[in-house]
Amino acid sequence: MVNRAKIKELLNESACSHSKEKKPGEGCDKPKPGLAAGGCAFDGAQISLFPYADAVHLVHGPQTCLGASWETRETLSSYEGRDHTVMGFTTGIRTNDVIFGGDKRLEASIDFIMKEYAPEAIFVYSTCVTAMVGDDIDMTCKRGSEKHGVPVVPVHAPGFVGGKNLGSRLAGEAVLEHLIGTKEPEFTTPYDINLIGDYNVTGDMWQYLPLFEKIGIRVLSSLSGDGRVGSIRTAHRARLNVIVCAKSLITLCRKMKEQYGIPWISVSFYGKRDTAFAIREIVRALGDEKLIAKAEEVLTEEEEKLEARLKPYREMFAGKKAVLNTGGNKSWSIASGLQDLGIEVVATSIRKSTEDDIEKAKAYLGPNGVLMKAPAAEQAKVIDEKGADILLAGGRSLYTAIKKKISFIDVNQEKKVSYGGFEGLLNLAEDLKHAFNNPVFANVSEKAPWETVSMEAE
Amino acid sequence: MECNEVIALSRQEHKPLQVNPIKHSQPMGAALAFCGIRNCLPLMHAAQGCASYTKVFFTRHFNEPIPLYSTSVTDITAVLDGGDYSILLSIENITQKNKFAPELIGLHTTGLTETKGDDIRGVGMHIEIPYCYVNTPDFEGGMESGWALTAKALIDQHTKPQSHVRPNKILLLPHVSMSPLEVEKLKALCESFGFETCALPDLSSSMDGFFGEQQGKLAQGGIGIDEIEVLGNCGTVISVGSSMRIAAEALLAKNPRISHLHFDHLMGLKMSDNFIGALMEKRQIAPSPSVKRWRGRLQDAMLDTHFMIGSSRFVITGEPDMCVGIAELLQSVGGTIAAVVSTVYSPVLEIIEAERVFVGDLEDAKTYFKDADLVISNFHAERILHSNGEYHAGLLLRGFPNYEELGNQLRSDQLYEGGTCFLFEVANKLREVKHHG
Ligand code: SF4
Repeated sequence: MVNRAKIKELLNESACSHSKEKKPGEGCDKPKPGLAAGGCAFDGAQISLFPYADAVHLVHGPQTCLGASWETRETLSSYEGRDHTVMGFTTGIRTNDVIFGGDKRLEASIDFIMKEYAPEAIFVYSTCVTAMVGDDIDMTCKRGSEKHGVPVVPVHAPGFVGGKNLGSRLAGEAVLEHLIGTKEPEFTTPYDINLIGDYNVTGDMWQYLPLFEKIGIRVLSSLSGDGRVGSIRTAHRARLNVIVCAKSLITLCRKMKEQYGIPWISVSFYGKRDTAFAIREIVRALGDEKLIAKAEEVLTEEEEKLEARLKPYREMFAGKKAVLNTGGNKSWSIASGLQDLGIEVVATSIRKSTEDDIEKAKAYLGPNGVLMKAPAAEQAKVIDEKGADILLAGGRSLYTAIKKKISFIDVNQEKKVSYGGFEGLLNLAEDLKHAFNNPVFANVSEKAPWETVSMEAE
Repeated sequence: MECNEVIALSRQEHKPLQVNPIKHSQPMGAALAFCGIRNCLPLMHAAQGCASYTKVFFTRHFNEPIPLYSTSVTDITAVLDGGDYSILLSIENITQKNKFAPELIGLHTTGLTETKGDDIRGVGMHIEIPYCYVNTPDFEGGMESGWALTAKALIDQHTKPQSHVRPNKILLLPHVSMSPLEVEKLKALCESFGFETCALPDLSSSMDGFFGEQQGKLAQGGIGIDEIEVLGNCGTVISVGSSMRIAAEALLAKNPRISHLHFDHLMGLKMSDNFIGALMEKRQIAPSPSVKRWRGRLQDAMLDTHFMIGSSRFVITGEPDMCVGIAELLQSVGGTIAAVVSTVYSPVLEIIEAERVFVGDLEDAKTYFKDADLVISNFHAERILHSNGEYHAGLLLRGFPNYEELGNQLRSDQLYEGGTCFLFEVANKLREVKHHG
């Protein structure tokens, strides 16, 4: 069942920077009628767990929940077995299940999945309707687990309890309760970490994992980018939890600290500065002098190599100015990347940003940088005033760029390549190069003949 | 799964779950229908996730911002509120925040709010803006029925009863799988016969991918509520797709003098002939030279492609009204339909003469991919078909969703012209598969 006390506790999570100035009980996820934007708790839970490729993710609900959401995220996996993250499983309940309950259907679905697909585990997601009619998902999962001998994990994050952040926290709870600590690793090292909250979208993790390997940091388990259920079960043996840009999973890390004594740090891997900083933080937290020295050596070497590869781009982009209009951590992380490439970021959006994000944006842009609170209304003016050459924003802003006759990159579009780590910077550089060189923006902005040709008859 | 048992066409499900589903929900169809009404505020009575998913889904499919709001029902309002609170407050919050004046509130339910049993009709009494409500639980029907129910609701609730007709006025009722350009071409054809023509819903000027300052806050383009109010004086209503019959019947109830023409689809020579013939009878004039020319081109295309298509096997998945049209067009040039896998049950499936017709998902459909030359399906079939080299079949993307291809909204498969392009596209795909595969 959805536990009200648990939800309250999660909503009030002190470690969440959203809820700092809010009154108690007024956490960050309480939607206002009509104004809630973004996905539901179920969405958040699914995002957090779906990358486990060796598990089947079964959505117990009516059609909308899964029908519109499967195969929409580029969370890459190196799993060699059947990759369940590119598949969709739903009980797709019908009227009868609403009237008589959907437990039977759920049980039969679990049996079907075990027979046909034999995954390492099954995550069963409750959704608004199945939570509302009171299906006993816990019981059905428990029975399925006993019958088939693999974890069948109930995830109680029906959409109506809140937004994505809360759902992600509830997913963390499910993992903590049902998986972590249920298996011992084959071996451990003093350099074992858990990566928490990187979902390996477009292979983001693969941009920095090679650095880990060179230094000797071992990823024991991941929640959940390129993750395996088998290894998250051993997560209690890690030396450090590393949260990657996911405040919603701080609760999980705090609890793991209480239960297993594992310390945690929060980092990000966007751009050169952040990546280097993150790695230094990790090795420092692991506290091994040899490792720290090795990290410095590897970083120096890699940074040098990167510098050489960035140089031609820096020359190409010299004197260019950019306006950035995107949300959340992208407001500073892409700014950081642009700066690494020698582009001056003259403005960024802080709409919907947390305090942390705003502080970071401020620090990165410096005293002359404009922090736009209402970017849709402000950006055109800022482009004029600062003489910007490119606008990086969501698709809706394209019109502004065309009108101002400057280049444009849609940063909110489903990306196909990663901008993360050191390697990702080169991807960003390539995209910028193409945007600056493309004549399409100028060509499209030409006037139509009926705007220019004068006709006598009229 | 390799299932060897043959699945029969039935309203009953053949397994407890869907694996790699193709079915989409009723609320999604309703939301899209409201996007075809001018200055409509589509409002999903649901927790926030359904609207968010739907918005992303259609934004990626049409490459166009989608106006869609939700009443953001929470666990607390789910229990305490009969709907009034969240619906009224949502409308107030949304209109205040955006400072706009919608011409219509298009409210529809979801599984959650149906389970709660909210009185969405009664709320209307407290709303000053014109209001239309539709019951679209997502544990019943599918996208096609959600779209059709919305068209019906708009007529039921807003079209005024009339007793006289304007013989030269036509209402077109296109099914959900028809693209914006297809609706536009259909309208243009009727107009070329001198008919004053409306379409309901009308995506031709709202989801057609048009460069301009996009707000995406209310539905742009589309048919106006003022036009819907006076649809009762249409001389003729034309439903395209079996799902749209209910909307046509709703209009007939407003004025029994309206004549109703129904077409299960408008793909291929025969159906196009029937359609043009019907318009000619009504107006007693010949079609324009360009229409006649296109008929000749379609005949030519049928002959040009018959060899390639006539020796090929097809699997089609999607909404019933789309599947029946594609199947009949391919069969008219000798194509063999190995299987039609439909999202939901519809009586129109009974008339399809394929080796197999049933309701299922891509896991079921996959069984038939092996000895197919071409699969006509949505985005999700791509990875299944091409990931492991097991299949030789090519893929033609049709139906929802089509996330990756560009220009879906401007593709037409209907009537003489669309049929011509469709056949060439299919034959060219087959050539790639058969000669280079
Ligand atoms: S809001 Fe509820 S019904 Fe809608 S997608 Fe989320 S879990 Fe499913």
